[in-house]
Amino acid sequence: MRESLSRIITLTRRNMKEIIRDPLSLIFMIALPLFMEILFYYLFHGMTDQFDMKYLAPGIVVFSQSFLSLFTGLLIALDRASSFLTRLYVSKARPYEFITGYMIAMLPITFVQSVLFFTVGGIIDPSIFGVNMIFAVLISLVTSLLFISFGVLFGSVCNEKSIGGVASIVIMCQSVLSGMWFPVEGLSGGFMTLMKILPFRNASLAAQYALNGDGGVLVPTLIVLGYTAVIFTVSVFVFGKKMKAD
Amino acid sequence: MTAIETKALRKEYNGVAAVRGLDLCIEEGELYSLLGVNGAGKTTTVKMLCSLTAPTSGEAYILGHSVTAERGKVKELVDISMQETAVARKLTVEENIEFYAKLNGQSKEETEETKKYIYSVFGLEKEAKKQAGKLSGGWQRKLSIALALVTKPKVLFLDEPTLGLDVIARRELWKTISSLKGKMTVILTTHYMEEAEALSDRIGVMKDGELLFSGTKEEMFEKTGKTGVEDAFIEIVTGGELNA
Repeated sequence: MRESLSRIITLTRRNMKEIIRDPLSLIFMIALPLFMEILFYYLFHGMTDQFDMKYLAPGIVVFSQSFLSLFTGLLIALDRASSFLTRLYVSKARPYEFITGYMIAMLPITFVQSVLFFTVGGIIDPSIFGVNMIFAVLISLVTSLLFISFGVLFGSVCNEKSIGGVASIVIMCQSVLSGMWFPVEGLSGGFMTLMKILPFRNASLAAQYALNGDGGVLVPTLIVLGYTAVIFTVSVFVFGKKMKAD
Repeated sequence: MTAIETKALRKEYNGVAAVRGLDLCIEEGELYSLLGVNGAGKTTTVKMLCSLTAPTSGEAYILGHSVTAERGKVKELVDISMQETAVARKLTVEENIEFYAKLNGQSKEETEETKKYIYSVFGLEKEAKKQAGKLSGGWQRKLSIALALVTKPKVLFLDEPTLGLDVIARRELWKTISSLKGKMTVILTTHYMEEAEALSDRIGVMKDGELLFSGTKEEMFEKTGKTGVEDAFIEIVTGGELNA
């Protein structure tokens, strides 16, 4: 158990370094969402509700997390392509240790994302500062697991060339199906139902409810956790299969 | 002592045989080259011997330990450098060595010793602070092979270690691989016949998953009537069709 924990920590540290030292990952996961948060607030707030900071900041936090699916997947796909994972498989490390190492490595990044975007949002609109912000950061850590699980799944299935296209579907879904850029009230029943069923709007709602102290936070969080559990289980299975096949 | 022994080792993928009834015996400390055209079954054989993939039938032993029943023990005895450059790209050379040492349970003191050993064998010290992804192809491949030595394996598998390298980088790697002779058992798969000729104690020739020949260069020349490994290899694999 102790040896296993030590290996997970070693793998996590390595994966964090790989992500943090990649300028592209920092641009897409930190700089771009930050730019969008500031720009969209000053361009559109007052026009529609969703650009009020109490809705925009949580939306941006979850949108920035969608890039975790791309960069987690890319790291795994490159490790597979270079046979780095095959090399590690000859070591004492086990498949669940690899997956845990990839997933935990992303949590400090998502922590920085949520703290940064909520804080910047609070500087722009101080009304969102409060104890609920801590709760919103914690809920954001939960929603990030959904996108990290997507990343593990994509990295196990795709190669490093196709992963950009596949992960962009998740990023686009988070952008379009979360309702963060447009009022959802006037949408048709079918589209609205789709948004309610899929995890993307629920992830945004969970972060919004947490920040605004809304008691409805539990239901969207549970829906996101349900999707996360299914995707995580599938990704563990596929990862193990691909490890043997590679 | 026998380092590697296989008995009727067979591997099938979706009913198609990649390795067919391989019987092989390699002594401890030998440098054994496994030659064959693409699809001959070399890499599949290596993967089975490293316990990376299970045989469909037959058995293989590494220093007396079964690759199927004693996978954990076998993994302690072997390491591999795949034909791809398998390094952590954003980690420095030093961090790569430390990472792989820690992953294999080495203490701080052991890791420091390992670094000294790796630096002395591969001359990597001057590149220690550079990110692996920014090294030249030759240095990256050296690091990739060096990582396989971190665990101080008894049996080292080098799967096409010089593939795609320029002639100078290749010769430098030959020198490094030569320096390992006698210290551990080395199994080398390669497409470069001159590499096998320069480095090997014994040579095996595979075709369509079968071992057609296993012996010394001299025995290979005697069997085929040729005087170079390349000509002898072609003679064995094609039955003389391509040798004028």
